[in-house]
Amino acid sequence: MDLFDIVTPLFLSLIVGGTFVGIIFGAIPGMTATMAVAVCLPLTYSLGLNNGLALLLGLYVGGISGGLVPAILLGIPGTPSSITTCFDGHPMTKAGEGEKALRIGIVASLVGGLISLLILDLFAPVLAEFAIQFSYVEKFLIILFALSVMAALSSDMLMGIFSGFLGIFISLIGTYSIESGGNGEIRLIPPGMENWLESGFSLLPVLIGLFGLAAILEEAEKGVPESMSAKDVKIGAASTFSFGIFRNQIGNLIRSSSIGTFVGILPGVGGSAASILAYTGAKTFSKHPETFGKGEPAGIVASESGNNGLTGGALVPLLSLGIPGDSTTALLIGAFTLQGVQVGPLFIGENPRTWDAMIIAMLVANFAMFGIMYFAIRFMARVVTVPKPILFPIILMMCVIGAYTINYGIMFDVWTLLIFGLFGWAAVKVGIEVAPFIIGFILGPSAEIYFVKSLESFGDLTIFFTKSWIAIFLWVLIAGSIGGSAMLARKRRMQEAFAE
Amino acid sequence: MGSLTHVTVNFATSHLIFPTLIAGILALLGLAILITKRHAIAGSGAYWQGILSAMDRVRFLGAVALTVLYFLLMVPVGDHWPNTGLGFLICSIPYVFLTGALFLHRRGARDLIPVALTAAVAPTLVWWLFTDLFFLTLP
Amino acid sequence: MKLTRRAILATVSAAAILAQPLMAAAQELPRNVRLVIGSTSTGGDTYQNAAIVADALAEKLGINIKVDAVGPTEAFKAVGRDKRGTTLMMHHDQSYLGHLYGVRGYDDIFAEYQIGPTVAVNPGNAYLLPKDSPYQSMDDILKAVESGERVRVAIQPGGVSEIGFSAMKNAAKLAAPGSEENLVAVNTGSQSDKDQALFDDLADVINGSIQSNEQYTQLPADDQKAMRFVWITARPETLSQAPEAGMGKLSRDDMLKYASPETSVTLDGSKDFTFDKVFFFIYNKDMDPAIVKQIDDALAEIYADGTIQERQKEAFFIPDFRPSAEARAHLEEKNAAYAKVIDAIGAAQTN
Repeated sequence: MDLFDIVTPLFLSLIVGGTFVGIIFGAIPGMTATMAVAVCLPLTYSLGLNNGLALLLGLYVGGISGGLVPAILLGIPGTPSSITTCFDGHPMTKAGEGEKALRIGIVASLVGGLISLLILDLFAPVLAEFAIQFSYVEKFLIILFALSVMAALSSDMLMGIFSGFLGIFISLIGTYSIESGGNGEIRLIPPGMENWLESGFSLLPVLIGLFGLAAILEEAEKGVPESMSAKDVKIGAASTFSFGIFRNQIGNLIRSSSIGTFVGILPGVGGSAASILAYTGAKTFSKHPETFGKGEPAGIVASESGNNGLTGGALVPLLSLGIPGDSTTALLIGAFTLQGVQVGPLFIGENPRTWDAMIIAMLVANFAMFGIMYFAIRFMARVVTVPKPILFPIILMMCVIGAYTINYGIMFDVWTLLIFGLFGWAAVKVGIEVAPFIIGFILGPSAEIYFVKSLESFGDLTIFFTKSWIAIFLWVLIAGSIGGSAMLARKRRMQEAFAE
Repeated sequence: MGSLTHVTVNFATSHLIFPTLIAGILALLGLAILITKRHAIAGSGAYWQGILSAMDRVRFLGAVALTVLYFLLMVPVGDHWPNTGLGFLICSIPYVFLTGALFLHRRGARDLIPVALTAAVAPTLVWWLFTDLFFLTLP
Repeated sequence: MKLTRRAILATVSAAAILAQPLMAAAQELPRNVRLVIGSTSTGGDTYQNAAIVADALAEKLGINIKVDAVGPTEAFKAVGRDKRGTTLMMHHDQSYLGHLYGVRGYDDIFAEYQIGPTVAVNPGNAYLLPKDSPYQSMDDILKAVESGERVRVAIQPGGVSEIGFSAMKNAAKLAAPGSEENLVAVNTGSQSDKDQALFDDLADVINGSIQSNEQYTQLPADDQKAMRFVWITARPETLSQAPEAGMGKLSRDDMLKYASPETSVTLDGSKDFTFDKVFFFIYNKDMDPAIVKQIDDALAEIYADGTIQERQKEAFFIPDFRPSAEARAHLEEKNAAYAKVIDAIGAAQTN
């Protein structure tokens, strides 16, 4: 194999440069890996196939990883796939462990990326074969399993579940999308609002509204106290990071990376589901699930290795079926067709050199991501010491850019940001819980399409139990997750009763 | 057992199935909340009054008002120079400055300088980065 | 507070100065143009066509053109708001087929907008079977439904993906009235959903494309994923301009075997039904005719030059430039033909 024909200095610098730009996109709330790849796609035409892919894959890995920075430091997920990183990362920052949390997240990202790459390299065709065994029914059950984390994330079970279902309900507003198999009819829109709401609320503005704007409004309500920044939070003072943290996390790392990879392999299940599922899995199997959501390193490990696991996974159906595994890899198809390269079940066999180039690019991108982020931590972590009157307006402005550009220039998305900022601010006060709400909102549309299509195709409710052994296995997981949360809630109640 | 679990989905109305199901579950959960938390709900008037009286009204309402104004002006202003993103730039500079100044506790010249500098530099940099370099559409 | 008043004053006066040159030159394309497309995908065929044309046009006219994948609803709204020529739209046959099928959000483009030039055709629209299917040809399928067999076809309803299916129904009805009821639509979304419907045995025939399905036709028959083409809807004149090597193992001659006249799905008993997915500009109804002419002329020069065709062919598109007036006549003709098919089988949604 003439490796040096592929691995030229230009090839390597495009990967590193792509990863760097990707990290910036990922770190800006509202800008995603998909956006980074979309913006740079036209450049690839002049670069040629292998070099073009080097740039795009660097952007992809960087974009998915960069999301952890604002999630941990500011509590605003930089991308939808880092939503679960917020749950434990931000509490750690508040406790003065922001730098440690960042290091955990970055190491977990690297491991997740490498494990998924290994799986991609060794098993791509076999796994694609397995993935097509998942029909609407199995996909619905996977979404249901991910939704079951709603119960586990709530502090008040009843209110938490209500919030989750409210999230699903609000995600259904608008059109039952023809592109995903619906009939294109609208529903749940208040009369007179059709012009704005026919496409529903977009995920990203909702996300940054709930987590970004709402947090700033809450600070404003309290009069923006000066204290919290420079003086109180001593970065990395509470406890230092060492790789020893990962000694107990090996099982978690492997499980979460595999879950992430697998979600990537399933076409249509969606990128954000990867980290949510990995997080659900980690909590279900944890010996001390009660610490999740309060600054548990295992939560960050699960979330970040899960979403980076996605990167290798999403390339499996792309390269062995010609079908994108998530929205970013859908753009890679564009890069291939622009170069006149066909993707489909024969891709790997017919383009061995491109395949090698992609694997090498992914490998280099993962290490580049690690190198860039690990050594930039000290600078990044200083974000929390920037005075709020400077920091907040900048965050607000970046949120506006993210919301406006996510669907390539739609003003309603910016208003969505404000609507959900105010909603998020008020919701907390009436006991609606934001974490289960957003998970319901993210997964609602896929839950709908797979549920309705299952019934449409098979015409019987029992199909959810009788379809295949995969379905049965998924039910066991769902039962485990719900049972675990119920036991946890009971334990908590008994402890409270005992304390009284 | 076929007949009990059998369902026929009419494609033309299938957009209503899932919303109806979720609305049903929400109604049940809502009812349960009403019953278990009736005391808290009865006292919600006083609860909200407490929140409103304790809040920093100038900063909270000021931030909301500035944001609404910012969003309202961006598109009409940008419409004068279509597809250049200038609407964003022109509106962001005063917005970043005014919200920053609003959040400050002491507003002497020395405190306002960093805020003003941020307001001048940050939007310009971001505007250049996204419209020129990344070729994205801004208002 | 002095500072802000001064800032506002400065902004306003700067605004006044900057606004003037724009007013002066309104009869031609402005310097910064936004080309919105009727698809939200930045990797799909609409985006690629738009990007290729936008690049060439921007270079020719010395202006900036940004392509924004906002999707059909938002694209129609954006172009409907702006008659200055700062917002143009590009879409394909879906824009009038959506209206013919009665899909929400699609107006009559011939009445509400101006039709701009066509730029290229994607000849890939096709129908496929599992490799072990008992049907060998479209004739087999039509005979099967005539004899009362149910044949399930996976499509995405309400547009480009459905029109070939409607044509099958129409042909079945012409052959034996009533038999079209045996052709049943399986409503799915993306291409992967349609493929999956075939793997899950939920469909007997699927709508697909040469580009995304050709490799599946090369798989051995015992593979669950193996497929074969049964019908390519493009006009033979279009396909004959495709590269001779075709795509993958499917040469141009092979493609022609699956297309009219060799594979015939009749339109009215004498002529065959054909469908080319053509990409074209859509303008605001009141946009200045001078701008329309400017774009027509610029594109005519670009196509005369010949380099754009190379790029289009590389991405498996067939160059197809028609200036605005010609494009409008061509599309109105297609619209009328397909309206008849959809009417005949009553496929339009009634709401």
